[in-house]
Amino acid sequence: MLHRPQTLDAALALLSAGDAVILAGGTDIYPALRDRPPPAEMVDLSGITGLRGIGREGDSWRIGAATTWTEILHADLPPLFDGLKLAAREVGSVQIQNAGTVAGNICNASPAADGVPAFLALEAQIEVQGPGGTRCMAVEDFIRGPRMTRLDRSELVTAIYVPDSPGQGAFLKLGARKYLVISIAMVGAVVLAEGDRIAKARVAVGSCSPVACRLRDLETALAGISARDIAKAVSAAPLPELVPIGDVRATSHYRSDAARTLITRTLLQAMEARNVA
Amino acid sequence: MSVSKPLPHDSGHLHVQGTARYVDDIPSPQGTLHLAFGLSQIAHGRIAEIDLQPVRDAPGVVAVLEAGDLPHSNDVSPSVHDEPLLSGHSVHYVGQPVFLVVATSHLAARKAARMARIDYQPRDAILTIEEALDADARFEEGPRIWEKGDAEEAIDTAPHHVEGRIEMGGQEHFYLEGQAAMAWPQEGGDMLVMSSTQHPTEIQHKVAEAIGRPMHAVRVETRRMGGGFGGKESQGNALAVSCAVAARLTGKPCKMRYDRDDDMIITGKRHDFRIDYRAGFDSDGLLTGVDFIHYTRCGWAQDLSLPVADRAMLHSDNAYHLPAARIESHRLRTNTQSATAFRGFGGPQGMVGIERVMDHVAHELGLDPVLVRQRNFYAPASVLAQPASDVPKDNSPENNAEPPEAGVDLTSRGAVAASSQDAAVPNAGGAQTTPYGQPVEDFILHEMTESLMQSSDYAARRAKAAEWNAQNPILKRGIAMTPVKFGISFTLTHLNQAGALVHVYQDGSVHLNHGGTEMGQGLFLKVAQVAAARFGLPLEAVKITATDTAKVPNTSATAASSGSDLNGMAVKTACDEIAGRIAAHLAKLHQLPADAVTFAEGRVHVGEESYTFEEAAKLAYEARISLSATGFYKTPKVQWDRIKGQGRPFFYFAYGAAVSEVVIDTLTGEYRILRADILHDCGASLNPAIDIGQIEGGYVQGAGWLTTEELVWDDDGRLRTHAPSTYKIPAIGDVPEVFNVALWDGANREDTIYRSKAVGEPPFMLGISVLMALSDAVAACGTGYPALDAPATPERVLAAVQRVRDGV
Amino acid sequence: MQTNLTINGTPQRLELDPRTTLLDALRHHLGLTGSKKGCDHGQCGACTVMVNGRRINACLTLACMHDGDEVTTIEGIGQPDNLSPLQQAFVSEDGFQCGYCTPGQICSATAMLEEVRNGWPSHVTDDLDGGADLTTEEISERMSGNLCRCSAYPNIVEAIRKAAGENA
Repeated sequence: MLHRPQTLDAALALLSAGDAVILAGGTDIYPALRDRPPPAEMVDLSGITGLRGIGREGDSWRIGAATTWTEILHADLPPLFDGLKLAAREVGSVQIQNAGTVAGNICNASPAADGVPAFLALEAQIEVQGPGGTRCMAVEDFIRGPRMTRLDRSELVTAIYVPDSPGQGAFLKLGARKYLVISIAMVGAVVLAEGDRIAKARVAVGSCSPVACRLRDLETALAGISARDIAKAVSAAPLPELVPIGDVRATSHYRSDAARTLITRTLLQAMEARNVA
Repeated sequence: MSVSKPLPHDSGHLHVQGTARYVDDIPSPQGTLHLAFGLSQIAHGRIAEIDLQPVRDAPGVVAVLEAGDLPHSNDVSPSVHDEPLLSGHSVHYVGQPVFLVVATSHLAARKAARMARIDYQPRDAILTIEEALDADARFEEGPRIWEKGDAEEAIDTAPHHVEGRIEMGGQEHFYLEGQAAMAWPQEGGDMLVMSSTQHPTEIQHKVAEAIGRPMHAVRVETRRMGGGFGGKESQGNALAVSCAVAARLTGKPCKMRYDRDDDMIITGKRHDFRIDYRAGFDSDGLLTGVDFIHYTRCGWAQDLSLPVADRAMLHSDNAYHLPAARIESHRLRTNTQSATAFRGFGGPQGMVGIERVMDHVAHELGLDPVLVRQRNFYAPASVLAQPASDVPKDNSPENNAEPPEAGVDLTSRGAVAASSQDAAVPNAGGAQTTPYGQPVEDFILHEMTESLMQSSDYAARRAKAAEWNAQNPILKRGIAMTPVKFGISFTLTHLNQAGALVHVYQDGSVHLNHGGTEMGQGLFLKVAQVAAARFGLPLEAVKITATDTAKVPNTSATAASSGSDLNGMAVKTACDEIAGRIAAHLAKLHQLPADAVTFAEGRVHVGEESYTFEEAAKLAYEARISLSATGFYKTPKVQWDRIKGQGRPFFYFAYGAAVSEVVIDTLTGEYRILRADILHDCGASLNPAIDIGQIEGGYVQGAGWLTTEELVWDDDGRLRTHAPSTYKIPAIGDVPEVFNVALWDGANREDTIYRSKAVGEPPFMLGISVLMALSDAVAACGTGYPALDAPATPERVLAAVQRVRDGV
Repeated sequence: MQTNLTINGTPQRLELDPRTTLLDALRHHLGLTGSKKGCDHGQCGACTVMVNGRRINACLTLACMHDGDEVTTIEGIGQPDNLSPLQQAFVSEDGFQCGYCTPGQICSATAMLEEVRNGWPSHVTDDLDGGADLTTEEISERMSGNLCRCSAYPNIVEAIRKAAGENA
């Protein structure tokens, strides 16, 4: 059965009743329909208007869980979100961006999800509602392993909060083809600059570890350095967080090699974008 | 005249409205059943126990068939009956069909097929070239070896040498329309089959065997395919046979289509190759001798692997005169999908071998690779007299072919072993000969490449690229020209025949049918242009109809680029027969000689008088003159002994050349094709718009093969790249930013249909210029030779950059 | 379950298994076979249709999720004697070879031209806020979700450019 609740409460009531699969954009349900035992109950969130849209709430930006990637792309947002917008353009094709949602991308918790490194760099918080009320946690804590999250079966993600800051966002992805690639590696970054120097940087890498992750030691090392020293700093950093696997898309050696280049370029992209703006 | 015009595709109006029907779009009769295979999960072994009860109990399942349940022949091989439709107890690759589910819907069949419980006794699987060589697992008794002169002596005594190895991957066809078939039982046990196939006659033959009926009881119809590229020459057999067997059993129409993942896991792909080479040359780069060893993984069954491997050997020279050559070819049996036909049919792999040698020689000597290539070209056609290699008329193959084995599908390219015959060595008449003894009489690449060098501004761009590379430490450019000389004809000589059926109705409209199939290459339009031209009619007067084994029998596959050459000629013959009858009648009426009658602009002119074509048709009908005719054509001059490697396998050669420029990112290995310039020879083109489309598409598909399209099998023999998310075909952004394509202005020297040339496969090999341009860009990073393998993924490019920097 | 869809302007009431994809509903329940099955993975774009004016992959969405929505398929774009400018341009520029990807290309391009008119940004637009000229690169990026194995891409780009010019 497919349910299309019109309110959040109705959706939560349906979820608390038993094992239901949540559909937001629905772009990832298809494999389950063909080969796995079919889900008996499906809850489609697309009818709940309150789950969509982007707006300010206090010191944060609130992005509704069922906001599509296309809506992200078209939203009027500060440069902080440039990385997220660039990531949005990499989520499949326009056809998929029109259907796929931000929370869906996060909840699938694929190591190769395009949105996750961008949200990590934004220090985004995930708002989860369930029968026990509302809780909030960092993206990093929410995704606990490849394809695993801290979402309880009776809960759903309602929003993503991004604390406002003056930083500049950036994002880069490496793949064997220009478009429609599942990533070999991708990098999200937010840089706060002072003159030609990085005052503060947040860097996250996807596809190079079981779960996309922040590179905190590198972030510390980057503080205070000038744009021209970024490459050196990145190549000198140990980056213990990156433990890429070898798979059909690339060997682990190539991934770690290319990831460093990509990190440097993403940081430079942020520095340059800031100069342009 | 309708020929030589860039007329748009005949199905265009249907395509843009979504009303062009492919097999899965044909409305299914009520009660149609749907089929899916249950597949082997291991690469090699025996099935110890199989429990299909959960499959039978699954919702919607009507029947489940195993090998023992099949009523007649259990074989779908296009060659040596080594490919059971259903495996029986012994399985040979991951993805081999083990059982067949018949259900009320496609999804029900697919889901049920995954519910079998099978216990396997695994055996060692042979997956790699090394494993196959160690086990001596191969087709044929040993390697095929063809020799011209003493290559070893020529190489050893040459002042310079190179040797090396290139590996090149296979290629998934990824026809956008997956394999599909439908069978509809008819009265008296007859069967009507709709199949997405390049080879309706073979489908007819295999279905007839499988249901134990003569071929006359089976009718196969193919209106169009959503792409074929060789992948529907033999790979559709399993689906059509399954449908027919299930339809016979249930009395219901049956339909089968592979979902994309099944299609990729079950069906064969392009053969991957390893080529070891050794070459001797002088200080100008002129080759004295070459030694090639080809290794190819043919997969678990023979399919068309022998002629594919033959064609790779036949293109080991590409455009270059090899004074001495030795070519050894190992056709290895592995526990993987049975590799099959794919655009070029081995030719591209053989050609990459010699192009690598040219690139390596130029690098060794520090010469511009274009110079080395041009110096080694065959002598130009312009220095030769008329064709010298005509063979005596009596030596036509049908006179001395050995009787075929019972059951062999004579119309398949896999029938190769049954028809080997003595072939006379052609008289070269002063022309240089290929390593297999065919004189090269029509060589036009000197003029073509000179012209392309000018139009592409090669010299200046090469200098600019060098300048750029000196200034840019990270982005490096590379530029390369590669030529193509591709042999046209089926190498199995007797396949070079075609039939046509043409009717003129009393209203002057024309019904056209021939043995070729339409897969997007524009064959139907080209052939219709021929028919319209013969009758002097506008194209709209000619009705193009689906390929149908009941109309034209015993057809060859639409393959080997031969479609328009063969069928165009057969249609011309049929049209001329009818036109001749009409002309004779009208001439008699007007007491004029028959040659006073001409057909032009929708009218029939008889001396001073003239009739509309409709009036002429009516007059002929009333005079009780048959307005229906068959046409037949067989290619002249061809003869071939594939064991000796001697003869004239090809009627003529098609030529082309491409200049590609790329830029690589030496920190990530990523790259882009910046510009491509192509000059290609279609003889006197039947339809320049269609031909340019074939050239552009072939180039991009060839470049895809050598760059992004990577097939990966794991250690258990599982294909890991079985979805578009992991297997990357070229997307719209992968087309070169600047893409100039021109046709060489010249008529075919041989007497082909309107002096045109075949175009389906040759342009595919223009994509080799991209691999060589990447090699050139990588070479700019240091002193070593890049030795770039294919596909040259960003990862491989980066590794090559690092090797070259280390000076390896 | 019952689902109401407006397909090419005509209201349709369908009784569907809720797990039916929009593509299967169109092809099997409504006999609209213009939308094609290419890859079953949302990667090739052959099944592209427009839902409420936006292009999506019909193979990746459930029909029941679109209760009340307006769906436009290739059958709803133009009439046999009145083709849309894009359809005409695909015919005149030979924007296909085998034709299997064509319905998806045209649905996708129809929506894409509308996006351009609305000033939606894309990847290669320098200005993240839109306002791009329709260059080859721009068309390529915006059409990257539609594969053509025959690689008729140069003609596809030409057809879209031609239709865009006529609409401008």
